[in-house]
Amino acid sequence: MAIKTVLMIEDDRFIGEMYARSLKKAGYDIDWMIDGNDGLIAARNKPYDLILLDVMLPERRGSDILESLRGGEDLIPHSKVLVLTNFEQDEESRATMEKRADGYLIKAELTPSKLLTIIEKLSK
Amino acid sequence: MAVTPQQRLAKDFWPYFRQIALTIIVSILVVALGISTVVMYALGLFGTEPVAVILLLATQAVLSGTVAFIIYRVVADPLKEILAAVIQVSGEPTTTTPPNPNDPRFAKTGFKDVLETLYKLASTEPKKQPAADGQIAQDDFIQSALNTTVCGFVLMDKTHQIIFANKAAPVDIDRNGQKRLNLIFNGTDTLESWLAACEQSSVHAEHVWTRIPDKLPEEEGRRFFDVIASYEKGAKSEVVLSLVDRTAYYESGEEELDFIAFAAHELRGPITVIRGYLDVLQSELGDKLQADQVELFRRSAVSANRLSGNINNILNTSRYDRRHLKMHLVETSASAVYDVIRDDMAMRASAQNRLLNVTIPQDLPTIAADPASLSEVFGNLIDNAIKYSNEGGAINVSAIVKGDFVEVTVEDHGIGMPGNVVSNLFKKFYRSHRSRETVAGTGIGLYISKAIVESHGGTISVRSEDGKGSAFIVSIPTYASVADKIKESDNSNVGIIEQGSGWIKNHSMYRG
Repeated sequence: MAIKTVLMIEDDRFIGEMYARSLKKAGYDIDWMIDGNDGLIAARNKPYDLILLDVMLPERRGSDILESLRGGEDLIPHSKVLVLTNFEQDEESRATMEKRADGYLIKAELTPSKLLTIIEKLSK
Repeated sequence: MAVTPQQRLAKDFWPYFRQIALTIIVSILVVALGISTVVMYALGLFGTEPVAVILLLATQAVLSGTVAFIIYRVVADPLKEILAAVIQVSGEPTTTTPPNPNDPRFAKTGFKDVLETLYKLASTEPKKQPAADGQIAQDDFIQSALNTTVCGFVLMDKTHQIIFANKAAPVDIDRNGQKRLNLIFNGTDTLESWLAACEQSSVHAEHVWTRIPDKLPEEEGRRFFDVIASYEKGAKSEVVLSLVDRTAYYESGEEELDFIAFAAHELRGPITVIRGYLDVLQSELGDKLQADQVELFRRSAVSANRLSGNINNILNTSRYDRRHLKMHLVETSASAVYDVIRDDMAMRASAQNRLLNVTIPQDLPTIAADPASLSEVFGNLIDNAIKYSNEGGAINVSAIVKGDFVEVTVEDHGIGMPGNVVSNLFKKFYRSHRSRETVAGTGIGLYISKAIVESHGGTISVRSEDGKGSAFIVSIPTYASVADKIKESDNSNVGIIEQGSGWIKNHSMYRG
């Protein structure tokens, strides 16, 4: 599945702008939501190819968003989900998110170019 | 000084003495009278002067009786008074009145001084009276002090019933009115099992448990204790438990959102941006940069990457110390794990002018590893090799298969270490004297590397020669050798650690 549309849910402005800039340059259509509630609504209203999901978010945490989207019935069967976080969750939360997502990455270990490489791999 | 009542009481001596004394006196009188009678009879005085003889004998009896009585009083009376005084100060039950030293008749003879000395010696007894009060006061004082401290103290008798517990001790009273200790021990290493073992084979023993909660995780007011138990066979308090309340220290490890995770989150945000934009700028500016500017970029990137690695070390160490370090083992290869850090390491080595030669064959058997954690180990070892080798020095990273393990060796030709340093190398915060002076670092890199490798069911070892260089060898089990165990335990390391007995000795960290 070729990835074209991307929803980024990220509350850190610098990080968000950095990823958005690289993704746009690489030709992706990107929507950026800052708080968790808006992110969940956006994810449910539009079928994105890829959702970049932060964990520590205002209003609603990334883990809750993923729970809402994939906890029971998979509401976003057409979307890939990459969890991008700098937060060290406890084992259980992390394991749960890893099971429901297509990737779980630490942002501090991830440059924009590496992110693009990973997204390309997901497209295949 | 108190006269301790012995088995025979002091007051029993007087009747005994008096009886013996009177018996002896009467016997002497009778014998003397008998001798006089016999002498007079032999002289024939009975026939010639019978009246005079009888008068003589009667006079002798009266006189010697009187003398004996006087001697008896002179000798025995002081003894009687002394005994009465001794009986008095010894606290024996008695109806006799103790002699009064102020009696005028005692003053004349000097017996007053004797009695006064005796009473003075015994007056430590009256002095002890306030001391006994003081004892009670001191007991109250200790009790209130024990109840003020946050440390718990519990004393148990021979039957292991609680005979004392201060306020801070996690003790409550059950329906039968018995005091009960609320501690939830891990696994089989419980107080009961330890006490049972002590009963069997110990006279004196001590044991320490750390991080023992008094309640289940979801219960209110849960506390954590480090428990120090002392066992002394036959002592009145056979078991003494000291419970150090470490809730403040341990509970952070129990909370989902703990401080270190938050701190790491805050530190990683800016690092993400710095690393990201350095990468972006380098690739976008590309050929516009002069060689020295490229080098500056590279150094910035290396520093940001190292900072990120340090944060991972801190996070992992904090988890390991709280027994929360878990590995997610997957089938991978040594070279794939190295790929995670390949670019970063190449950059670090060249930025510090070291020659990094990596020869990890692609066709080695696969290993069971958590790529993120194991790559941190390789990163730590290479970082150390860079730190402790000389400008332009070569660092070789190689891998071979050895039985059920793949061995990865990181070798440098740097300053090396003497033997005494090697033995301390994997201790937390250990830094050799030399490295403290010349090389920056925290001393947790090797500590956490060892923990991570052992969490894989592997080993880490070191060969080093002072002045010639060091080689760190990491052995990780091949996937084939542990695949069954990993599948059983849902890709965590629990299976290989707990079932692979002999691989790793300290697996206490998985109990958290």
